Amino acid sequence: MSKTWPHRPPAVFRLDDDDVMVGLAKDEAAKRAVQVILEPDAETPLIAVDDPLQWRRRGFRWGALFWGAVGALILLAAGLAVVRLIEDLFARNQEFGFLGLALAILAAVSFLVVVIRETMGLARLATIEKLNRRALDTLLSDDRQEGAAVARALLALTRRMPRLARGRATMESHLGDIIDGADMVRLAERELMTPLDQQARRIVTAAATRVSAFTALSPRAAIDVLFVFGSALVLVRRLSLLYGARPGALGLMRLMRLVVLHLAMTGGMATTDGLIQQMLGHGIAGKLSARLGEGLLNGFLTARLGLAAIDVIRPLPFTALPRPTLRNLMSDVMRGFGEKEETP
Amino acid sequence: MNELIEQIRLAAAALAEFSSHLFNPTIRLGVTGLSNAGKTVFITALVHGLLRGGRFPVFEAMATGRIARAYLAPQPDYAVPRFDYESHLDALVDKREWPASTRQISELRLVIEYQSQNGYQRALTLDIVDYPGEWLLDLPLLDKSYEAWATESVKLSRLGPRAGLAKDWNSYLTSLDPQGAEDEQAALTAAKLFTAYLKACRDKNYAMSLLPPGRFLMPGDLDNTPALTFAPLDVASEGVAPKGSLWAMMRRRYDAYKDIVVRPFFRDHFARLDRQIVLVDTLAAINAGPDAVLDLERALAQVLDCFQIGRKTILSTMLRPRIDRILLAATKADHLHHTSHDRLEAVLKRLTQDATAKAELAGARVDVVAIAAVRATREATVRRARQQLPCILGVPVAGEVLAGETFDGDTEAAMFPGDLPDDPNELFRSGASAFRGISTTSPQNADFRFLRVRPPLLEMTESGIPALPHIRLDRALQFLIGDRLQ
Repeated sequence: MSKTWPHRPPAVFRLDDDDVMVGLAKDEAAKRAVQVILEPDAETPLIAVDDPLQWRRRGFRWGALFWGAVGALILLAAGLAVVRLIEDLFARNQEFGFLGLALAILAAVSFLVVVIRETMGLARLATIEKLNRRALDTLLSDDRQEGAAVARALLALTRRMPRLARGRATMESHLGDIIDGADMVRLAERELMTPLDQQARRIVTAAATRVSAFTALSPRAAIDVLFVFGSALVLVRRLSLLYGARPGALGLMRLMRLVVLHLAMTGGMATTDGLIQQMLGHGIAGKLSARLGEGLLNGFLTARLGLAAIDVIRPLPFTALPRPTLRNLMSDVMRGFGEKEETP
Repeated sequence: MNELIEQIRLAAAALAEFSSHLFNPTIRLGVTGLSNAGKTVFITALVHGLLRGGRFPVFEAMATGRIARAYLAPQPDYAVPRFDYESHLDALVDKREWPASTRQISELRLVIEYQSQNGYQRALTLDIVDYPGEWLLDLPLLDKSYEAWATESVKLSRLGPRAGLAKDWNSYLTSLDPQGAEDEQAALTAAKLFTAYLKACRDKNYAMSLLPPGRFLMPGDLDNTPALTFAPLDVASEGVAPKGSLWAMMRRRYDAYKDIVVRPFFRDHFARLDRQIVLVDTLAAINAGPDAVLDLERALAQVLDCFQIGRKTILSTMLRPRIDRILLAATKADHLHHTSHDRLEAVLKRLTQDATAKAELAGARVDVVAIAAVRATREATVRRARQQLPCILGVPVAGEVLAGETFDGDTEAAMFPGDLPDDPNELFRSGASAFRGISTTSPQNADFRFLRVRPPLLEMTESGIPALPHIRLDRALQFLIGDRLQ
């Protein structure tokens, strides 16, 4: 043997041989024999991905320390105040004291639940972000195991979505096939993301239509601003619910930040995406009626925000399916397509 | 002059076709592969998958249900037999036998009715040609003079394991005088010995690939005609043949062979391809040894050089159609555990690296995959003592031998073919560090053994035949025609 690579010579085992056992045998005697373990499908263990931080922070996180310390102080102060209050209540009247104690316990428990929920929401958001990044990597590397792992993770993420039952069943049946990484990611996108994308499009269109109509009819600019901001929040929240994230208040804040960042980063690209036509259209509409023009512009901005939110919150990047564009969304808005909206 | 006429003819045919394709989109799919690469099985599986709706998750148009139906249509050429899809399928499914090697050219036309992404009803016509893989080796002859070819053949026949196989012909060759008077009997004997040498090279144990001219191995209907009665002579590559000499006679017949056989074959079937899949039986060459691998590399380089490859433009489509997508496929990937498929693809990439680089430079898209058009094996892990071997389970065809076992064609076995190297260059080494194949050593000592496996046993459903299992056939389809079904 003068092989320069780790090489095992060929071998063959007849399945009807006495030494060969098909399946796993437990007892000692069987261990000496040759065992053939059938692989029902391409068995791929879920491999842990090392997840390099996108922005490695440098130095000590003084800001985090500051906020942590201030938070702890506030918590301490609140705790102290509550303890004092209950003591005072007990001093005044036994019954009031018990009532206060019960309320304090209720508050503590519910606060705990809220914290747990927020943490879970944030964790889920992080899972989705990581999944997106892994899918992107897999599309480049075409790694078979990683592709299957991404598909499995996506299946786990979408386990609770009734509208994906069929897609999930198809996907599960393909997990055992020999399919390369990039193809597997595309397949998962086609099977599991199509219904969600359609719904997301409807949600964004509906929000944009609503904002347009409201701005065109509302009596005061200040109310517009509030309404636009409110609908943006609702829109992002609904989209994230649709794609499997369940963000709490903190999660929603993080999401909004990401969406705005994304908007800022892709702002330049959007000029190719019919922005000019839209602006022109808005100009013409503005000539006809100032309110109408403003309404269209607001609707258009809402749609942009919705598209950015989809990019941020979607567990897989757009590869096999076309990315919804502002142009086709806005034409839906014009057509009043949003009327047919369903709740997710 | 001849060349110019040929070019005009090709352009005229392309122009005529261009107008008809405007209204009726057609893809001419070139299924290229040397003999035994699996062309017939690939075409059968592809047609079956499209007709019956196979399990093709990666083939987008079919997986999303945009293909309404596919059917076989009468073929366009009246002079070419129809590809006998039905009997090939019967042999695969009922008799569980691989189709015999193809002896004649045949053709099939498939129409796919589909709905485009934006909702239009469309139809795409797919023309597929099957032919004996040996004939493919004729294409490089088009640009070669008799002298160039003869020098090359003689040189090649004295290399490596070929020297032993060509002994008879070589000794007869030294007794011939190219300048001597022409002699029919000498030509006959030389052709016979040369053919015998080519046939010996093709034997499973040697698995040589570069064996032109192809009709010597698979004569079709030209057996014993003067066009097939010639052989290389030991002549200088730049010399001029004296009138009336044996040399001049051989040279005349070689040119006749090119005119009668090679040019029409190229013109009718390869000059106007849109997409190409190159099937390569890498495993057979690895089975035989380093010489077979190097020979396969040379053959592929020569063959791939013959095609018009590059980005499509309107002018090129009208006058000189180009192939804008090439899929290099290592066939019979089911003879390896799927964990080794990446290595197999690496070997094929290394085999075709020059052709690939050239095609990409010209603007064509190239992809390399390991496929099995019909998957005949399952996978298993074998645990022996402390070793775990990733194996494949299948029924070796009757007569295959491995480790002293002779198979009867009914026994299932778990096979481990040997680890392929991570670095494909290991397989291209020669000398002391070369790996051992069955052409130079006994089957027991070979580093790799790929046994031929019978087609899979399929369970019938009441709706007819179930889809044939495959490996990455859907990926191949997506690459080859997926973009035309958008």
